[in-house]
Amino acid sequence: MRTALRQSTLVDGPLPLALLVASLLFAVVVLVYVVLDRTPDWGLLGFAAVIEAATLVLLVIAAVQVGDADLSGPSAITLFGYLAAGLVLLPLGFVWSLAERSRGATAVLMVAGLTQAFVVVRALQVWQS
Amino acid sequence: MTRTATSTSSGLGRALVAVYGVFALAATARSLVQLATKADEAPLAYVLSAVAALVYVAATLGLAEVGPNPRRLAWAAVGFEMVGVLTVGTLTVLDPELFPDATVWSDYGAGYGWLPLVLPFVGIAWLWHTRARD
Repeated sequence: MRTALRQSTLVDGPLPLALLVASLLFAVVVLVYVVLDRTPDWGLLGFAAVIEAATLVLLVIAAVQVGDADLSGPSAITLFGYLAAGLVLLPLGFVWSLAERSRGATAVLMVAGLTQAFVVVRALQVWQS
Repeated sequence: MTRTATSTSSGLGRALVAVYGVFALAATARSLVQLATKADEAPLAYVLSAVAALVYVAATLGLAEVGPNPRRLAWAAVGFEMVGVLTVGTLTVLDPELFPDATVWSDYGAGYGWLPLVLPFVGIAWLWHTRARD
């Protein structure tokens, strides 16, 4: 019963996967920007905002469902550590990136996107363990 | 004529600082969790994790040009990082039992996609590239 309940939860559902794909796609789009020597624009910022919103939703769902998930103390700390990191990565990346207009500065967003993807994978692994 | 050093946090350096920043954040968080939840299990490995975290934080600040003498800080941190990853990497390969729990530098950072091994070389190359020259 408990397993059935867990499998129906949103954290095990399509949201983390969609978030992972979106983060990787974001990194690829930034790579295109770097190659074309384009500076970040509103489109890129909007994309990041969508990822940011999805991460926030995931964090809230995880917080609501963590009671049913049998996570021990350290695992729960790790899970929310990763999710909190997922919330600050892109904003920090944008702050650091937008202070300068250069390919290297745009590439900062690629680092942020890839790290975001990594964080989602790790959060999912902790959740499923 | 002496040319002044180029900024270490500009251009490519900006992306490098971002990568170092991610390592600083990750290593610090990991170290805090380890020390807070299971410090007794593998004290040596966890102290090493904490040292590595400090090194990454120092390297990030130095390369980002924070503080009074950032270039010296960056050289010291990246140099320590290279010695650290080579020493700990070699020790863990020779004697896997030495550290019961993995650190960032175990097996030359293989658990982190070898990035901990590559990073100090890139860091030193970048500091060299941006140095003041005659």
